Amino acid sequence: MSGPLGLGPGGVVAPPASSLRAYLPIVVASVVLALVPLSLGGSRYFLSLGVHLLVVASYAVAFNLVFGSTSQLFLCQGALAGAAAYCSVILGNRYGLPLWLTIPAGVGLAALLGGGLSWVAVSRRLEVIYLGIVTLAFSLVFTNLLLGGRELTGGETGLVVDGGAGTWLRSPAAAYYLFLALLVGHLVVYRAIERSRLGWGFRALRDDEVAAALAGVDVARAKVTAGVVGAAMLGSVGATFAAHEGFVSPTTFAFGEVDVRVLVVLALGGVGTLLGPVVGAVVVTVVDELLRPLGQLRLTVYGVVLVVIFLGFRQGMVRSVRSLWMRAGTRAGPRTD
Amino acid sequence: MALVLDGVAFGLQLALLATGLTLIYGLAGVLNLAHGQLVVAAAMVGAVALGAGAPVLLALGLAVVTAGAAAVLLDVTLLRPVYRLRGQARVLLSLLLTLGVAFAADGLLVHSFPFTRLNLSVATPSVELLGVTVRSASVVASLVAIVALGGLVVLLRTTRVGRAIRSLTQDEEGAQLCGVDPGRTRRLVFVLGGSMAGLVAVTQGLVSSVGATSGLDLTIFALIVTVVGGLGRVSGAVVAGVLLGVVHAVAAFHIGTVLTFVILLVAAIVVILVRPSGILGGAGS
Amino acid sequence: MLTVEGLRVAYGDIEVVHGLDLEVAAGEAVALIGSNGAGKTAALRAVAGLEPGCSGRVRLAGEEITGLPAHALARRGLVYVPAERRLFGAMTVRENLVLGAHPERPDRDRLARVVELFPRLAERRSQPAGTLSGGEQQMVAVGRALMRRPRLLLLDEPSTGLAPVLVEQVYAAFARLREAEALTVLVAEQQVPAALQLADRAYVLEDGRIQLTGTADELTDDPRVRRAYLGLT
Ligand SMILES: Nc1ncnc2c1ncn2[C@@H]1O[C@H](COP(=O)(O)OP(=O)(O)OP(=O)(O)O)[C@@H](O)[C@H]1O
Ligand SMILES: [Mg+2]
Repeated sequence: MSGPLGLGPGGVVAPPASSLRAYLPIVVASVVLALVPLSLGGSRYFLSLGVHLLVVASYAVAFNLVFGSTSQLFLCQGALAGAAAYCSVILGNRYGLPLWLTIPAGVGLAALLGGGLSWVAVSRRLEVIYLGIVTLAFSLVFTNLLLGGRELTGGETGLVVDGGAGTWLRSPAAAYYLFLALLVGHLVVYRAIERSRLGWGFRALRDDEVAAALAGVDVARAKVTAGVVGAAMLGSVGATFAAHEGFVSPTTFAFGEVDVRVLVVLALGGVGTLLGPVVGAVVVTVVDELLRPLGQLRLTVYGVVLVVIFLGFRQGMVRSVRSLWMRAGTRAGPRTD
Repeated sequence: MALVLDGVAFGLQLALLATGLTLIYGLAGVLNLAHGQLVVAAAMVGAVALGAGAPVLLALGLAVVTAGAAAVLLDVTLLRPVYRLRGQARVLLSLLLTLGVAFAADGLLVHSFPFTRLNLSVATPSVELLGVTVRSASVVASLVAIVALGGLVVLLRTTRVGRAIRSLTQDEEGAQLCGVDPGRTRRLVFVLGGSMAGLVAVTQGLVSSVGATSGLDLTIFALIVTVVGGLGRVSGAVVAGVLLGVVHAVAAFHIGTVLTFVILLVAAIVVILVRPSGILGGAGS
Repeated sequence: MLTVEGLRVAYGDIEVVHGLDLEVAAGEAVALIGSNGAGKTAALRAVAGLEPGCSGRVRLAGEEITGLPAHALARRGLVYVPAERRLFGAMTVRENLVLGAHPERPDRDRLARVVELFPRLAERRSQPAGTLSGGEQQMVAVGRALMRRPRLLLLDEPSTGLAPVLVEQVYAAFARLREAEALTVLVAEQQVPAALQLADRAYVLEDGRIQLTGTADELTDDPRVRRAYLGLT
């Protein structure tokens, strides 16, 4: 068992020491993802599917940083991304500000909110369950404020983005590479943090917070940093996605839309692994499309997947495949501790 | 006055909903995020049984039994590995597992019963109470809730089983050393908590109706009340339920349901931050 | 009454009790002494059924009880009083005592008998156990165990947190109980003099192994014990 929550990776693993080996997986993954649209002939349908895949993967990287690295159960991915998106759209629509100003403003707001949640959790010493409930309540407050504050947010119908129509942002192919760039950026940040002194602190505090504090880790600062960076990641994707779609609505960022999916993606791919979010997003997106005819039953499939993962297959796919690889030849299955 | 009475009636439903959740959390360390789905499952069974021509009492009995049985099934199957963990690890794993169960159950219920609703508004003449006219259905629902809540409190306070439940809630190992069987007592508490959820289906069916999609909302309401009352505190859940019920009724009348919901959520957040052991307070959490 | 053979206890990958053999005859009082971290608590917990991962054989009055869970052992009359007491802090003293005999219904005579043994508890009957002083809590813990008329009482450091006078009082109560009820006791203790005074025999545990065993008198006179545990030369 590793980490106080028992959900961390099997043994806290430090990232590779050499820069090449540390970043190679990101290079490989981005090359593969960059080639996908070419091999699929650039159809609009597949490109928009690809954009959704990249968006959910990016969200999952952020969740990985907050939950995987510092054990903070944020059940408000959608709300943080949505706060940035709505902020950016409203600033643009009301004051005619350009995207290069409104998106950073949205990201700043998300970072502030995420950091604030982390800070509150740390200073009130919230146990995981209480932080989970607070962030879930925060999500629902956010959604309901969107619904209630009709003049500002357009209520249930949402807002149409005034600017940006007809630009390259709305073209599926360009957007695909834009979101790929965002995802790669997130992965690089994630890995860079992992390799820094901060990352060492993350590994220490995930194992045992008290021991980490004794070893000189500033636990509060580490957690708040994770909250700020994670929320900024969520915000950047959320705000950019709004600009691309040309439209925001409460459902785009609802708990049931975003958080549920992110949880499944990260659990499937593997909490605390670099490429877990990407692998999980690919699997979930493909399976989601295949299961589309099932309608409501898709939710059942997700639920069962979550249960199975948390019951026995807790390391996720990336780590399981890796350990299978290492034991190739022997018939040993993945470790299910 | 009418608003307050409405609020108390609604609050009793909330209390009934939350005591099941808080009882299970207090004893087993499992915050069951599929609690709302237990209510829905009970409602669907009741509705189907009624539709098939079963007598009302039999149908409602079936509904309650369904929820109790589903809860204990969860305890003895999926949650088994959870009990090998202690403290935070147990809480987190059970949270994630029951979230998965909630999705699975939600999908299944909405898929299987898209148009079914449990609706017991048979004939509801109005009655005079404290100079206010109230629906008799609401009175009956409140009485059911009062009897169930009272019965639970009596069970916990005065019986040997109740004492065993309270001892386990306070100190699992100490209780074992006193000869209390934790597994058996836990199963009993899951049956009790699940049945309370089943009763909510009945009382909600009396005052309005329960459909397949209500699961998540019910769980959220239960969570809010449980948190405000203090996680694991049955008496806290009762008080918080009634209190929030009144707040809900009054606020909804004046500022609309959306903002009222926001108020309840903010109340839960504030309680967690300033008084994590709940409104009744006291040391420890 | 109690026979332990080859008991091993491990926490994770670290074994802390390495094949312990131990015997307690009916009516006997046996002390388990050893320094901090010797494995006394681990051994008692394992015997009491609180360490499901342990191995070895345990028999109670000839009956195989290896692997039974703690509550089943308690119901068979093997009652463990942990050093941290594990009272139910929000319940009254009376409720704590009554729970000691769960699932039997409360027995008034027995309750009166236990309270007679610790008269302090009579005054504190309706007070929440969590608000008692350390000494009073220890009395409740022992009283709770006695409610069941245990066949074998396992005591872990009953002297923890008690002033010397209280240690004497608690041990005096044990001595009286031995006479009155022919109680069988296995007590782990760091306050070696008190334990050796009560006990007929003792085992010295070091690093999870029995290093020495003998009657209480033999051990009191043993130079090694005198040096290491009695602070004498
Ligand atoms: N839950 C646990 N996890 C890991 N190691 C433990 C655990 N409990 C005890 N140990 C270790 O087992 C060894 C024996 O501990 P034990 O508590 O049995 O000692 P003891 O003889 O009772 O000491 P003391 O007189 O201080 O109570 C110690 O090294 C201790 O660190
Ligand atoms: Mg000890």
